[in-house]
Amino acid sequence: MKPIVEMKNIVKIYDNGVVANNGVNFTVNKGEIHALVGENGAGKSTLMKILYGIEQPTEGEIVIDGKSVSFKSSMDAIDHKIGMVHQNFMLVPSFTVAANVVLGNEPIKNGFIDKDQVLNVTKELSDQFGLFVQPDAIVDSVNVGQRQRVEILKTLYRKAEILILDEPTAVLTPQETQDLFKAIRTLVHQGKTVIFITHKLREVKEISDRVTVMRHGKMIGTVDTKDVTREQMANMMVGREVFLNISKPTMKRAEKRMEIQNISFISETGRPVLRDVSFNLYAGEILGIAGVEGNGQTELVEVLTGLKRSAGGQAVVKGKNVLDRTPREVRQKGVSHIPEDRLTNGVALKESIEENLIVDRYFSKPYKKGMMLDYRLIENKGKDLIRQFGILTPNGKLPVESLSGGNMQKVIVARELSSNPYVLIASQPTRGIDVGATEFIREELVRLRTEGCAVLLVSADLSEVMSLSDRIVTLYEGKITGVFPDAAKVSEDELGLFMLGIKHQTNEEMEKFL
Amino acid sequence: MKSFFESKGFRELLRIVLAVSIGLALGFIITLFVSEDPVGAYKSFLLGPLSRLNRIGDWLEESLTLILLGLVICIVFGASQWYIGVEGQMVLGAMAAGCVALYVPLPPFPRILLAFLAAMVVGALWGLIPALLKAYYNANELVTSLMMNSVALKVFEYILKTFIMTPKSRSISSEFIDKPFRLPTFIPDWPFLQTIRELWEKQTSVTIMVYIVIAAVIVVYYLLFKTPFGYELRTVGLNTKFAHYGGINVKRTIIMSILVSGIVAGLAGAHLTLAIHNKIISNMTSGLGFEGINIAILAGNNPLGVPIAGLLYGYLRAGSDVMERSSDVSRELVFVIQAMVLLLVTAERLLPTIQKRVAEFKESNDSNNGSKPDLNKVKEGDSHVA
Repeated sequence: MKPIVEMKNIVKIYDNGVVANNGVNFTVNKGEIHALVGENGAGKSTLMKILYGIEQPTEGEIVIDGKSVSFKSSMDAIDHKIGMVHQNFMLVPSFTVAANVVLGNEPIKNGFIDKDQVLNVTKELSDQFGLFVQPDAIVDSVNVGQRQRVEILKTLYRKAEILILDEPTAVLTPQETQDLFKAIRTLVHQGKTVIFITHKLREVKEISDRVTVMRHGKMIGTVDTKDVTREQMANMMVGREVFLNISKPTMKRAEKRMEIQNISFISETGRPVLRDVSFNLYAGEILGIAGVEGNGQTELVEVLTGLKRSAGGQAVVKGKNVLDRTPREVRQKGVSHIPEDRLTNGVALKESIEENLIVDRYFSKPYKKGMMLDYRLIENKGKDLIRQFGILTPNGKLPVESLSGGNMQKVIVARELSSNPYVLIASQPTRGIDVGATEFIREELVRLRTEGCAVLLVSADLSEVMSLSDRIVTLYEGKITGVFPDAAKVSEDELGLFMLGIKHQTNEEMEKFL
Repeated sequence: MKSFFESKGFRELLRIVLAVSIGLALGFIITLFVSEDPVGAYKSFLLGPLSRLNRIGDWLEESLTLILLGLVICIVFGASQWYIGVEGQMVLGAMAAGCVALYVPLPPFPRILLAFLAAMVVGALWGLIPALLKAYYNANELVTSLMMNSVALKVFEYILKTFIMTPKSRSISSEFIDKPFRLPTFIPDWPFLQTIRELWEKQTSVTIMVYIVIAAVIVVYYLLFKTPFGYELRTVGLNTKFAHYGGINVKRTIIMSILVSGIVAGLAGAHLTLAIHNKIISNMTSGLGFEGINIAILAGNNPLGVPIAGLLYGYLRAGSDVMERSSDVSRELVFVIQAMVLLLVTAERLLPTIQKRVAEFKESNDSNNGSKPDLNKVKEGDSHVA
């Protein structure tokens, strides 16, 4: 078989110094289904954005069908018959399915859009590739599976030969996933080439011909899928990493502080995201959640902190159920929250640092004095926190947007830790920030735990989870697959098998440690 | 004083003055083309409002209304609610104040007080419908409030024509409110001010509303920047998700922002009946409600800037009246000048953003060996280094 895509020695360094791809060689043959796997942050998406022309490589060469190319934008990629279906669909919800398929390149008759032709074209494509859609339905009213097929039809309408699917199954139910796989096989039968990004190894085994594994921006290897086991792939994905150098005093676990019982959550699209998750948080202990991104961690945190409504369960703090209460009520029970998405949830960018530091406490004494806020006190408290947490800024009156990513995160951490929390829920506390701030925040988390707070740590960075946590729980497809009472005694390989759903502990095994 | 000249407020003032000057200069160039006597026309436009006491009065009266309307918009825009239902709130507030002043049998002082209260309550309640629709059904407040304006105007006309108009009235209006129940002039009744007081009272209807408006400016400023409610309002306005995450009741804040703005809009309505027209009259607001947006933009959404913006804007409007009456230039020219001033002010606000973008572009080009600037950089929020 002859290669249709060759990416040679691709290097991508972002302006903030993050090395997303480091000398990646990636080859796809014509007519194959090629899976691209790796943990979150491994560089898969960046590599595909480069192939699709959204990002430009810092170094390296791309060869399509034997010709060296250089893409300035995705338009160039489309001209070379490359199509991409993004994880977040890019459709106009109020348009019909057919109108979305032809959008930007509509069939014209007498200077107007030829409505009949629009429907016909969509119908023909749909039949030809076995991608069932209702051409005249409004996109808003059709389900996720169909929206995804619309996205695929969009690329086919633009004559794509090479299709990039970015985690297409992440939003689908198992039934829809099967339909998608059937459609992918039809596409390949008709001569298309499919690149399939995922981190679900079961799907890799099921659908792909070959698989390329990436880790930390590097390509680990490309193999024929039939020659590897899921365990071997997991090994390649997770690999072995140096433990972080964190001095951690021995744990003094004390009383139970938060009791989480049978929490479930169903996404807007009707997909069960969390199923009967139960565990306890104890004073003086960090419980780490290990899992490949998209297995329910985000939702777990949002449900526990009152940002989303659950589909059942309980979360008991100080004898009171705080599940499905407002964020204010959850906070008043002493639960602090370092949010995963710091720019949307964690700060108001245009508001001053001082005012960002009081969002959880402005309504109580001493910040509120009579009917007014005591801005002199707010200024002084702000100064204290800026100094204590080493936030680099000339003064607290500046908007948060003037800070670097690491310093923004320090503002959040300063606020959430200074409320003297009873329980702290930290989600991706160090993602995407500089080394100095990362180290500082990790030390603060350990300090808090040693002082007796109960900490729940969710992180996509496995080495962070392993080196900070006292106890680890693995989450796979919204279910707890294993619990490891002594984080120091478990290997990354072992964890990887549980994170990827290859191994499970029984409920009896888990019960006494949860 | 050094700190004042370096302060943000001074820079803002300078910007506005500059924008107005350029706008006026451009307006003059247009006048050159359309007028036989451009200098005379422009003179009447620029100096007209100050030429007679009654014109000064007209200018100040209208400015008071404009200032209140600017405050209304400062409140709702502060919460990022694109709410433009002021017209409706104001007109019904005017109706409520008028009805109390005309028909409620109370002595002057309590009657006027009640008229104000009624206007404020009606103004607030009229905002409740779009506010609730927005908070609970996420209905676009721009659309609902605009539609509620039409409803309010029709309700106003209906009540006026059906219940208030008397057969003997010559226009579509109520009878005049009796003198004791109108607002008194703003000059206190002290012996040594007697002559000035009489003069102003005769020629103008500038009333104690002056003090009420000054109080309103201060109250709104403190409300927005010094109280917990103001903090909630601004935080919701800047980032709703952050506000929710931090524990702020977003729905309540949105509703309250519109209700509070309605109170001020009601005040503006009361000013129309009790001070300017002294009766309830058809087409009372004549689209004034939308001018508040321009004032708030000129003032940079800061309540303390609103009086200056309101006086300035009111001056342009008053000048256009004079010019229309005393020259061959129509008042539409002034709309052109107003539009240019607003354009210049808003464009000037954009300038720092553009400069920053250019700087970022250059910076990333240097570090990137001439490749394209990286959009992801901004997304990840790491572009701004302290």
